[in-house]
Amino acid sequence: YPGQQPGMNSMTQQFSQMDMSQKPVSAAPSSTGRPLALNQLYPIDLLNTPFNVAELDYPPPPAILPQNTSVTPSPNANCPPKYVRSTLNAVPTTHSLLKKSRLPLALVIQPYSSLHDAEDPVPIVPDQVISRCRRCRSYINPFVTFLDHGHRWRCNMCNLTNDVPQAFDWDAANQKGLDRWQRPDLNHAVVEFVAPQEYMVRPPQPLVYLFLIDVSYASVTSGLLATTARCIRESLDRIPNADRRTRLGFIAVDSSLHYFSIPRDETENVETSMLVVSDLDEPFLPTPGDLLVTMTECRENIEAFLDKLQEMFQNTQNGGSCMGSALRAGHKLIGPVGGKMTVITASLPNLGHGKLEMREDKKALGTGKESALLQTGNSFYKAFAVECSKQQISIDMFLFSSQYQDVASLSNLPRYTGGQTYFYPGWNAAREEDAMKFATEFSDYLSSEIGLEAVLRVRATTGLRMSTFYGNFFNRSSDLCAFPAFPRDQAYVVEVAIDESITKPVVCMQTAVLHTTCNGERRIRVMTLALPTTQTLADVYASADQAAITTYFSHKAVERTLGSGLEAARDALQAKLIEMLSTYRKELAGGNMGGGGLQFPANLRGLPVLFLGLMKNLGLRKSSQIPTDMRSAALCLLSTLPLPLLIQYVYPKMYSLHDMPDDAGVFDEQSGGIALPLPCNLSSERLAPYGLYLIDDGQTQFLWVGRDAVPQLVQDVFGVPDKTQLRVGKQTLPVLENDFNERVRAIIAKSRDHRSKGVGSIVVPHMYVVKEDGEPGLRLWAQTMLVEDRADQGVSLQQWMGMLREKVMQ
Amino acid sequence: MDFEAVKDQWNEVEDRDGVRLSWNVFPSTRMEASRLVVPIGALYTPLKEKPDTPLLQYEPVVCKQPCKAVLNPFANVDIRARIWICPFCLQRNPLPPHYKDISETAIPPELHPSNTTIEYQLARPGPAPPIFVYVVDTCQEEDSLKALRDSLVMSLSLLPANALVGLITFGTMTQVHELGYPECAKSYVFRGSKDYAAKQVQEMLALTTPGIRPNVPPAQGRPPPPVGAAARFLLPVQQAEFQITNALEQMQRDPWPVANDRRALRCTGVALSVAIGLLETSFQNAGARIMLFAGGPATEGPGQVVGPELREPIRSHHDIDRDNIKYYKKAVKFYDNLAKRTAHNGHIIDIFAGCLDQVGLLEMKGLPNSTGGHMILTDSFTSSQFKQSFVRVFDKDAQDLLLMGFNASLEVLTTKELKVTGLIGHAVSLNRKSGSVGETECGIGNTCAWKMCGIDPTASYGIYFEIANQGGPSTMQQGPARGSMQFLTYYQHSGGQYHLRVTTVARNLSGPAGDPSLAQSFDQEAAAVLMSRIAVFKAEVDDGPDVLRWVDRMLIRLCARFADYRKDDPTSFRLEKNFTLYPQFMFHLRRSQFLQVFNNSPDETAFYRHVLNHEYVGNSLVMIQPTLDAYSLEHEGALPVLLDSASIQPTHILLLDTFFQILIFHGETMAEWRKAGYQDQEGYENFKAILDAPKEDARELVQDRFPLPRFIICDAGGSQARFLLSKLNPSTTHASGGYGGVSQTAQTIFTDDVSLQTFMDHLMKLAVSGTT
Ligand SMILES: [Zn+2]
Ligand SMILES: [Zn+2]
Repeated sequence: YPGQQPGMNSMTQQFSQMDMSQKPVSAAPSSTGRPLALNQLYPIDLLNTPFNVAELDYPPPPAILPQNTSVTPSPNANCPPKYVRSTLNAVPTTHSLLKKSRLPLALVIQPYSSLHDAEDPVPIVPDQVISRCRRCRSYINPFVTFLDHGHRWRCNMCNLTNDVPQAFDWDAANQKGLDRWQRPDLNHAVVEFVAPQEYMVRPPQPLVYLFLIDVSYASVTSGLLATTARCIRESLDRIPNADRRTRLGFIAVDSSLHYFSIPRDETENVETSMLVVSDLDEPFLPTPGDLLVTMTECRENIEAFLDKLQEMFQNTQNGGSCMGSALRAGHKLIGPVGGKMTVITASLPNLGHGKLEMREDKKALGTGKESALLQTGNSFYKAFAVECSKQQISIDMFLFSSQYQDVASLSNLPRYTGGQTYFYPGWNAAREEDAMKFATEFSDYLSSEIGLEAVLRVRATTGLRMSTFYGNFFNRSSDLCAFPAFPRDQAYVVEVAIDESITKPVVCMQTAVLHTTCNGERRIRVMTLALPTTQTLADVYASADQAAITTYFSHKAVERTLGSGLEAARDALQAKLIEMLSTYRKELAGGNMGGGGLQFPANLRGLPVLFLGLMKNLGLRKSSQIPTDMRSAALCLLSTLPLPLLIQYVYPKMYSLHDMPDDAGVFDEQSGGIALPLPCNLSSERLAPYGLYLIDDGQTQFLWVGRDAVPQLVQDVFGVPDKTQLRVGKQTLPVLENDFNERVRAIIAKSRDHRSKGVGSIVVPHMYVVKEDGEPGLRLWAQTMLVEDRADQGVSLQQWMGMLREKVMQ
Repeated sequence: MDFEAVKDQWNEVEDRDGVRLSWNVFPSTRMEASRLVVPIGALYTPLKEKPDTPLLQYEPVVCKQPCKAVLNPFANVDIRARIWICPFCLQRNPLPPHYKDISETAIPPELHPSNTTIEYQLARPGPAPPIFVYVVDTCQEEDSLKALRDSLVMSLSLLPANALVGLITFGTMTQVHELGYPECAKSYVFRGSKDYAAKQVQEMLALTTPGIRPNVPPAQGRPPPPVGAAARFLLPVQQAEFQITNALEQMQRDPWPVANDRRALRCTGVALSVAIGLLETSFQNAGARIMLFAGGPATEGPGQVVGPELREPIRSHHDIDRDNIKYYKKAVKFYDNLAKRTAHNGHIIDIFAGCLDQVGLLEMKGLPNSTGGHMILTDSFTSSQFKQSFVRVFDKDAQDLLLMGFNASLEVLTTKELKVTGLIGHAVSLNRKSGSVGETECGIGNTCAWKMCGIDPTASYGIYFEIANQGGPSTMQQGPARGSMQFLTYYQHSGGQYHLRVTTVARNLSGPAGDPSLAQSFDQEAAAVLMSRIAVFKAEVDDGPDVLRWVDRMLIRLCARFADYRKDDPTSFRLEKNFTLYPQFMFHLRRSQFLQVFNNSPDETAFYRHVLNHEYVGNSLVMIQPTLDAYSLEHEGALPVLLDSASIQPTHILLLDTFFQILIFHGETMAEWRKAGYQDQEGYENFKAILDAPKEDARELVQDRFPLPRFIICDAGGSQARFLLSKLNPSTTHASGGYGGVSQTAQTIFTDDVSLQTFMDHLMKLAVSGTT
C-alpha cells in the first residue's frame, strides 16, 4: 500500500531481538557449594530505552533451581507459569529483605487453562494412592526426597519424614509392580489425584443449573428472553452430562416468581405447568417435585418448554423484578444439592428481598461521591452470597440492562460464590451482533466443565505463610478458599508472607484444588511450584515478574476502590510504583550516581506503563463520563481475569494491518496457528492516517480506519467502494473473495482465540469499526485504549515518565 | 269448625303465596298478642315456583315515599278517580297514565284477587352472567378425586353457556388456575399457612394494577393484554370448555408427602379467602357461587380446625362443652369474617363435604348460612348422595334456566298494627330501619330488609312479627279490620334480568278479648316449624338445657292458655283439634338432632340445622317428626304407623323418612325370609312385592329431595337399626316393662329418654296446675 512506513516494523523487530529476559535455563550449570547463579540483573534507563509492547508476551524470569532439586529429571517437574506465577521468581530468605525490596510476594494462580479438560489435559494419578505429609498435609510431589531405601520420604514443605504407602509401587489395576519413577505425581508438578471416599463429605453431587430468567418488559422487548431460551435449548447437548445426572431448573422472574414443573418424558397425561408465586415475603416452593429435573429424563419436555418460554411472556407489561426473592427461592430449591444459579436479567431488582434503588446520579460521576456507588447498595447481596457458599451454591450473573442495574451490588453474588459477572450494556437481540455474542458466550458458558464443592488451599515451605487471598470465592478459614463451583475462566492471587527466615535454597508452594468433577468424580488438582531463594536484592529484582506484579496490584486496586474509593486506589498505585522505582534507584542503581535517567531492571521495564494502563482502565480511570455499572463490571474483570487477559485488558493489543508482513494472518506451520503481526505500542503516534488497525483489549475490538484510508483498502476489507459508505459501529466483517479480507478476518479471530493465550474464557469481543474522522463518541471510546496518549483526565506516557522521574529524584 | 277445610285453605294459600302463618287471625292488641305464647310468624318461600302466574314485564306501581308498597289486590282502587289507596300507609296515589283503560272488568294482573303473589321482570339486567368458582380439595384418595373430577367436568354441561367458571385447588397450598392462559397450565400459588389480606390476594393475582412498569412508555401498536379477573381466571363455559375441562382433568392429588401419623396439610381457609378475593374486585354484587369441595378438615393456616397430627382428634360436642378446644374460636372468627365479606360482596359459598370424618362444617357454617349457600354433608365424593345432590344444584326450570337467584333482598312492609321483629333463615341483615320494624328482636332483627346472596325456589324464611301497642282497629276501613304484610323480594334471576316478587298477605284482626277465632286460626304445623327455628337459633348461642327448658315452658304455657281443663285436674285436659299434634311435635323436637347434639358430630349438627333453616313447613315437619310406614303381607301398600317402638313387628317392613335418611327396616321374620332368599323363589311373588314396595316408595320420596338423603337398608338386630331406634318414641324402654298394653313382640328400646306418654302426662299435670 502506498505510503507504507518501513521504519516502525523493523524497529519492533529490533526490539524483540534484544534478549532482555533470560530464556529458561533447563539445566543450570552449578556445582555443589557454589552459590547458584540466578537471573542476572539487566539495568536499563526507562527514559532512554522506552517500553516495547512485545515484551509483554515474553515469559516471566525463570525460576532457576539447583540441579537435582526434583526427584525425577522430568522437564515437567516444576509448575509452568500458565498455572502458577510468582511475582518473584527468587524468594527473599527474610521478611526484611522482602520488605526492603518493596516488591510484593504473591502467587497468581490459574488452576485451569481451558473451558474443557480435553483441551488441556493434566496427568492423572488414577490409583487413589495419595501420599500426603502427616504434619502439613502436603501432597507428594517431585520435590520430596526419598530416604531409607525409598521406604520413607521427606516432606519438602515441613521436613517431616513420612512412610511411603504400601501401594505406592503397586499397580492394583494390573496386579503388578510399578516403577515408582514413572509415577505422574513424581514427574509432574501439575497433576490430578482421583480422590477416595475420605475426601467426600457426601456422595458427589450432580451438576445442577438453576436458571433465573428475567421475563419482565425489559427482558421480553429486548429479546433477551427469547435468545436465552433458544440458546439453552440449542446448548442442551453441550451441557456436561457424562454421568446423566445433570439437573436443570427454571424460574422466570418479574414481579412474581414463575416456577415450572416439568414432568418426565414418559409420564402420560401430565403437562409442564407454570406455578406463579407472588408472595415474596418468605420464599417457598409451590410443589415438592419436578422443579429441578434430570435433563436426560425430561429432555423432550425441557425442549418443548424452552420452545414455548418466549411466547409465555410475549404480552407482558410487567416492569417489576423480584430477583432477590428469586435468588432466595432458588437457594431453597437447590440448597439441598448445591449447584449453579445462573441469573439472566435486564432489570434492576426493584421488589422483594434485596430490593435496590436507582441510586446513580450523573452529577456524582467523577467526584468523590462516585466511589459510594461502586459499593454495595444493599447488605442482602453479600450476606446472601455467603449463605449460598455454605450451601454449595454458586451464582453467575448475566446482566443486560439498558438502564442502571446496580452491577456494584449484584456482582457481590458471584464474588463470594466463585461465580462471574457478565455484563452486556445496552444489549438488544435485534442487533445481530448482540444476539450472536451472547448466544455464543452463553453456549460456551453452558458447555464449560466446572468443579463442584471445591476448596483451594496453598501450602508452602516452613517459614512462608499465605496471608491474603484475592478473587471470587469465600474465604472460609484463614487459608481455605471455598468455591461452590470452580470456574475455568478465572485466576486468583495469594499474597505470601515470610514469617521465618528461610535457610533452604529452594522453597515450594503447593496449590491444591479439591473438587468434584461434573462427571461426579472427586479429584484434587495439585500444582507445586519450586522457587530458588536469595539473600540479595539484585536477585529479587532480576527475577520479578512484571505481569504478575501488575495482576497483584490490579486486585489490590479493586480492593482499595471498593474500600476507600477510586482516588485512593489510583494514588496508591502511583505511590507504590514510585516506591519501587525509588527503592531500586537507592539500593541497586547507586542512588544519584545513575545520572539523569530513571533506572529499573529490564524485566520490569513494562511496569510503569502497565500501572499507567491500570490507572487509565475503565474501572479506575478518572472521568465523569463512565456510568457506574460499566465501572463496576470493569472492576469485576480486573479482579478475576486470568493473567494473559488481564494484561491485555490493562494494556490492549494493537496490530497494524495495512502494512502487516506477508506471513501475518496466514497459517504458520511452526506455531500451528494463524500468525499475528507484531503488536504496536498504544500511542496515536503509531496510527498512520491511511492505516488500518486492530485494537483489542480482550473485551472489545476496534477496527480503526485512518482518515486517509485508500478506497482499495476499504474495498478489500469491507467490500464497499470508499470510506464514505463505510458504516461505523458494532459489526461483523463481511466474507470477501480476497486475500487481504481473509487475513484481516483471520487476525481478528486469532486475536479472540483464548486457547492460544493459554486461558479459558467465554468472551467473544464485539468488533466496532471506527473511522478516524467518523462518529466522535465511538472514536473517543477507541482512543481510551491508547494508553500512552494523553486523554480526558489522564496523562500521556511521556508525562507519566516525567512525573515518575521527578518524584523518584526527590 | 271444620278444621280439615281450614287446613286445606291454608295449604291453598301456601301453594299460592308460599306463606304459612302460625296465626291466621292477628290479635288486635299487644296484650292479646302477648298471651299467644307462639309468636305471629310467617314461614315464607319467596321464590316458590308459580308456573301458572303471569310474569309481568313492566315496572310495578309503587306507593309514595317512604312507604313504597307495591300495588296489590288489597289496595282500594277508585277506578273513576284513577287513584288507589295504599293499604299500608293509607295514602292516595294516582294510577299511572297507562292504567287509564282499566275498568271493573279489565284490571291489571297485580290487582286480581288471586294474584296476592306476583312477579315483575324488571328492565334492569344483572351485572354479569352467573359465576361458578370451584374450590377443590386435592388431599384425597385417587378414586374420590377422580369421582369429583368427573362430577365437575360433567357439571360444565349443566351450566348456562355464558356462565363464567373458575378453578381453585388446594392442599398444602392454594392454587388459582389461570384458565385463560393459552401457553400452558398456569396457576398462582398461595402459601397455605398465611392469612392473606384481601388486597394482597388481588395484588398477587395482578388484578389491581395493570402491571408495575416504571420508566417504560406504553408499548406501541400492541393492545394491552387483558388483566381483569374475567379474562384470566373466569372463563365463559361455552368458549373455554376445553381449557376448563383440561384443567379439571389435570387436577392432581396434592403432591406433598404425608407421614403415616399425620393428616394431609389442607389449607381450606386460605383457599376460601383467595376465592373470595378473586371475585371481590371485579364482580362485586354479581351473582357468583364459590363451591367448596372439602375432602377433610383444614389442618393448616387460618381457619385450621384440627392439628396435622393424627393422635389429636377433631373436636366433639363434648370438647366444645368443656371448652377443650384449641382452634375452634379462632377458626370460627376467621370464617365468620369471611362470611361477612362474602355476603357484603353478594356472593354465595356452598360447602360440599365428602369425608367420613368431619371437615369443620361447624366452624365454616357461617359461610353458607350467611350467603344462602348449600351445605352438603356426604361420606365421599364417590357416593351417589354427593353426585346426585350436586347435580340437583343445577336444576332448571321449564325455560331451561337455572333454579337459582342471586343477590336477593327481602323487604317486609306492614300495616301499622304489625311490626316485624326478625328473620330466621339463610340471610344477613341489610340494617334498614322503617316504621315496620318492631321493638323486640327475634332472629336477625332490627331491620325490615335482609340480603340473600343465594336464593332458590325452596328457600324458606321464618319471619316474625309483633303487635304494635295501639288502640282499636282503624276507623277508615270498612268491614272487618285487617292487618297486612307485604314481602318484596328483589333478585337477580338466572335469566339475567332483575326480578321483583311481591307477596301481600292480609288477615283479619281479632275482635274483643277472648275472640275464639284467634285460637281457631292456629296453624300448629307452621307454629311448630317457626318455634323450631327459634329454638335452633337459641341453641346456637345458649346452652342446650336452657333451650330445652324454654321449649318446655312455651309448650306448657301454650297448653295452659288454649287447652280446656279444670284447674289441677290433668284428666280433664283437652286440646282443640288444631292443637293436638303440637305437643308431639315439641316432644320430637326436644329429642331431635337439632337440640340433642351429643349423638352427633358438631359437623352433623351444623348440617342438620342448616337444612332445617332452608326448608318449608312440610319438609321441616318430616325432619322434626319423621314419618314411619309399615309394609306387611296383611295389607296392601304402605300403612302409616306411629313413630313408636311399638311399631316394630317381626312381620313388618318399616320405611322411615327422617328427611336426612331413608331407612328400610326388615322385621325379624322378614329379615330371615329375605336371607333365605324366598323372594327369588317361585310362588313367593307377594313376598318379593312386599320387599320391593318400600324401595319404590323411597325412590318416590327422594325424587325432589335436596340434599339427597342417606339410604339405609337394615334388618332387625343389625347395627344399622340404631338409626331407626333413635327416632322412635321409647314406649317400651327397658325401664317401662310391659306398660301400656304394648305387644310383647315389640322391640325394647334401651334409652333413658322419657316416652311420649310420660311426656304428655307431665305436660298435662303442669298445664293444669297453672304454675308456670
Ligand atoms: Zn510436611
Ligand atoms: Zn303506602
